[in-house]
Amino acid sequence: MKKTSLWLVFLLAGILFSCSSDNDGFPGEEAEEVSPVVLDLGAIPYPKLSDYQLFKSPLSELNPVFGVIPYEPISSLFTDYASKKRFIWMPEGSSATFQGDGKTLEFPVGTILVKNFYYENVLPNLNKRILETRLMIRTQNEWKFLNYVWNEEQTEAYYDMEGRFVPITWMQNGVQKEVNYRIPNGAECLSCHNSAEIPLPIGTKPQSLNKNFAYAEGVKNQLQKLKEFGYLNDYPNQIQTVVNYSDQSQPLELRVRSYFDINCAHCHSEQGFCNYRAPRFAFNMTDYQPNLGICVTPDEDISPWTNGGNPTHIIKPGHPENSAVYYRLNTTLENIRMPLRGRTLIHEEAVAMVEQWISSLNGNCE
Amino acid sequence: MRSKLLLLSTALGISSQAQLSFTAQNVPVQGTYRMCVVDMNGDFLDDIVSVNSNTIFVLEQTESGFEPKSYQTPVAENLPGWSFTAGDFNGDGYNDLLYGGGSGVTFMLSDGTGSGFIKKTPSQYIFSQRANFVDINNDGLLDAYVCHDVAPSVYFLNLGFNSMSSHQGGLGDFPSGGHYGSVWIDYNNDGHIDLHISKCGGNEERYTDNLYRNNGDGTFTEVAAEAGLNLKTQTWSSAWADYDNDGWMDVMVGVSSTSTGGHKLMKNNGDGTFTDVTAGSGIDTFSGTSWEYIPIDFNNDGYVDIFGSGNKILLNNGDMTFTPISVGFSTGSAGDLNNDGFIDIFAQDKVYFNDGNENNWIKIITIGTESNRNGIGARVELYSAMGKQIRDVRSGEGFSQMGTLNTHFGIGTDSEIIKVVVKWPSGIVDTVENPPINQPLVIVEGETTMSVTDVENLQFSIYPNPVKETLNIQGKSLENADYQIHHLTGTLVMKGKVSNGKVNVNSLTKGIYIISVTQDGKTSSYKFIKQ
Repeated sequence: MKKTSLWLVFLLAGILFSCSSDNDGFPGEEAEEVSPVVLDLGAIPYPKLSDYQLFKSPLSELNPVFGVIPYEPISSLFTDYASKKRFIWMPEGSSATFQGDGKTLEFPVGTILVKNFYYENVLPNLNKRILETRLMIRTQNEWKFLNYVWNEEQTEAYYDMEGRFVPITWMQNGVQKEVNYRIPNGAECLSCHNSAEIPLPIGTKPQSLNKNFAYAEGVKNQLQKLKEFGYLNDYPNQIQTVVNYSDQSQPLELRVRSYFDINCAHCHSEQGFCNYRAPRFAFNMTDYQPNLGICVTPDEDISPWTNGGNPTHIIKPGHPENSAVYYRLNTTLENIRMPLRGRTLIHEEAVAMVEQWISSLNGNCE
Repeated sequence: MRSKLLLLSTALGISSQAQLSFTAQNVPVQGTYRMCVVDMNGDFLDDIVSVNSNTIFVLEQTESGFEPKSYQTPVAENLPGWSFTAGDFNGDGYNDLLYGGGSGVTFMLSDGTGSGFIKKTPSQYIFSQRANFVDINNDGLLDAYVCHDVAPSVYFLNLGFNSMSSHQGGLGDFPSGGHYGSVWIDYNNDGHIDLHISKCGGNEERYTDNLYRNNGDGTFTEVAAEAGLNLKTQTWSSAWADYDNDGWMDVMVGVSSTSTGGHKLMKNNGDGTFTDVTAGSGIDTFSGTSWEYIPIDFNNDGYVDIFGSGNKILLNNGDMTFTPISVGFSTGSAGDLNNDGFIDIFAQDKVYFNDGNENNWIKIITIGTESNRNGIGARVELYSAMGKQIRDVRSGEGFSQMGTLNTHFGIGTDSEIIKVVVKWPSGIVDTVENPPINQPLVIVEGETTMSVTDVENLQFSIYPNPVKETLNIQGKSLENADYQIHHLTGTLVMKGKVSNGKVNVNSLTKGIYIISVTQDGKTSSYKFIKQ
């Protein structure tokens, strides 16, 4: 379904211009569907998630209304095994601009990025439990972070930036798991979502979106879908694209680089929270081995800490046991674990993948 | 169950004054968080403290080794994943603990028995980094300061009775944080405790270090730029000490990453400014990086050394230059774990006992009365033939660990100490002349100004001292004698007539007072401590 072919252009200031000369009035065909999403930038944060009218009723189905497009990054951030559903909405007539394979799309004012965090098979009743819905809304000046915390009845989520822990026990592939799930405080958002202190989305980079997605109306490339709907101006044919790190059919190195990109690069970048450490984990920088920390001596000696091991390098080829990255991924202690936030459990599959990859590397760091 | 460990005696034949070596000994440490050496049972001997979410494990120092103790606590919501801090926050005679976690802090406050703990978890979100106990508003009660990694730093003002108020902003103010290592020092010798914050990460403004000057009137002014300490290196802690014994606190700003520059040694000019004296100091060629930098005189030569991680101690050569020496431990907690006057290190499951040498020493135990019980924030001065040394009593140095609250001095080959002066946060000054060396010295705030005056006039004595409720006045013919009680500052706070040999002082606030008794035209005075 295509969005309006610009009968009317709804400009940023909300001024209506007629822009058609030979097709005035309604066409003979069916009227264009209009997105029911409600957004007044002067009135946010709305107290309830339902106030935005992003989803049909019942809210907990997370069934998007017209204009709210689902998306999914190819590789996703690990957040203690929580499942996620993500959506994009933009005001009518506005669209995002391509800025580079590895740069987030430049979104128009009024864009809402929606990310719902939930677990399936939550004990005792093996039901689904949605914990939080995080919104990023592009205002005139900057991105705003707004978090909505779901009630136990799963009927509504309420604006709440305080942060809290929610104990969850659930079945993951037949194995019972527990987590004290962290809903972040508002101050936590910026530490990942920033470049040079300016708030930014992370997952909406063309390199992460360039894949097929099963929409209700059929499978389609996500960038193509956004373009067809009018949410994206244009994009190049060739995009340097990450792989899904969970896809074992992909080359190991690309999987690891894709994992580091989505889990680590937002801090470990030139303008990020942890810019003073050597690694540069963005996908388009990790074809250069030192950016991955290969044969780089760590600044901080973590060997004094429990489970800190005895790493000699950030990554020592062939030797996970001498690689700081391995220990930092394979611990829950908060002063050495990485990533610093979003993770309190060990991401077992990622640790196994990184261990396998380090073991496969050659070189003696001399 | 009790078990005692014998300390290994490691007396070595030592010739060099600067001799420094350590002997490792395993200790039966329990608990995940092993970051603290501090006295826990009120005997002023340093103990080893480690914790889990519901237990405090203490290896109590005794004359014959360590005695394991463990205390159940309420379950802590926040654990000391980032920093561990100790001090007698509630003033009950036992040190309390502050766990600095990634989502907030939890206080474990002793309940006055030495074996029970009351938990206080403020609701505020804090990505805690270094925390300190310090009397920020100088009301005699310890407050707590907590560096925030992703927002303005937070502090908790002590309201007494285990209650506190939470404050954010004004002391470490960058909106997205970057506050890593706070240390409270008196950099300008004005008697008011100042705050230095080591900063790191993000953009330049975020990682520029802060210096907050205490104006003495409850306000602070950020003066890093005018002091020359607005350094833009990536640092998680800084080691403050008077490295050249000129009477002013210098600072080694040690980096955790060299991405925007290396370590700096900044000499205090004594006029509120600092000069970069890194070049040629040995600090410039030291290649280690770390988040811990702690000042300690390890070899008791009277010059403060620097302990970081990376298995190195930077030994002070006595001329503002340093020489790194290798040691068998990295990050650890510092204290005197065998009461021999040489600072040892506890790390993970081992104590690295300082083998010592022939240098002389003293350690000062400061007990505040008007000021906070630990005397945190006091300036301690030591005068000996080699000159004057200074220390600030501090809780929370380096980035993560907690070390002894006793104030430790080496005096090299000097065989006597001319005097020790303690300038308390209250303004009271105590001077102890010619104290014995090579042993602890307890100084109670106000004690050296406690002697009876005019004893020839009117003979009487008072007890108990310190007093809680009733002061007994003992002497001849004192019934119905007039008395006056002045605060040490001179304010008249009570007057009346002695009745049944007693004066009820229950209504007085904690502090030091002078009672004067007059009979038949004769007056004599005593000083006493109201608890």
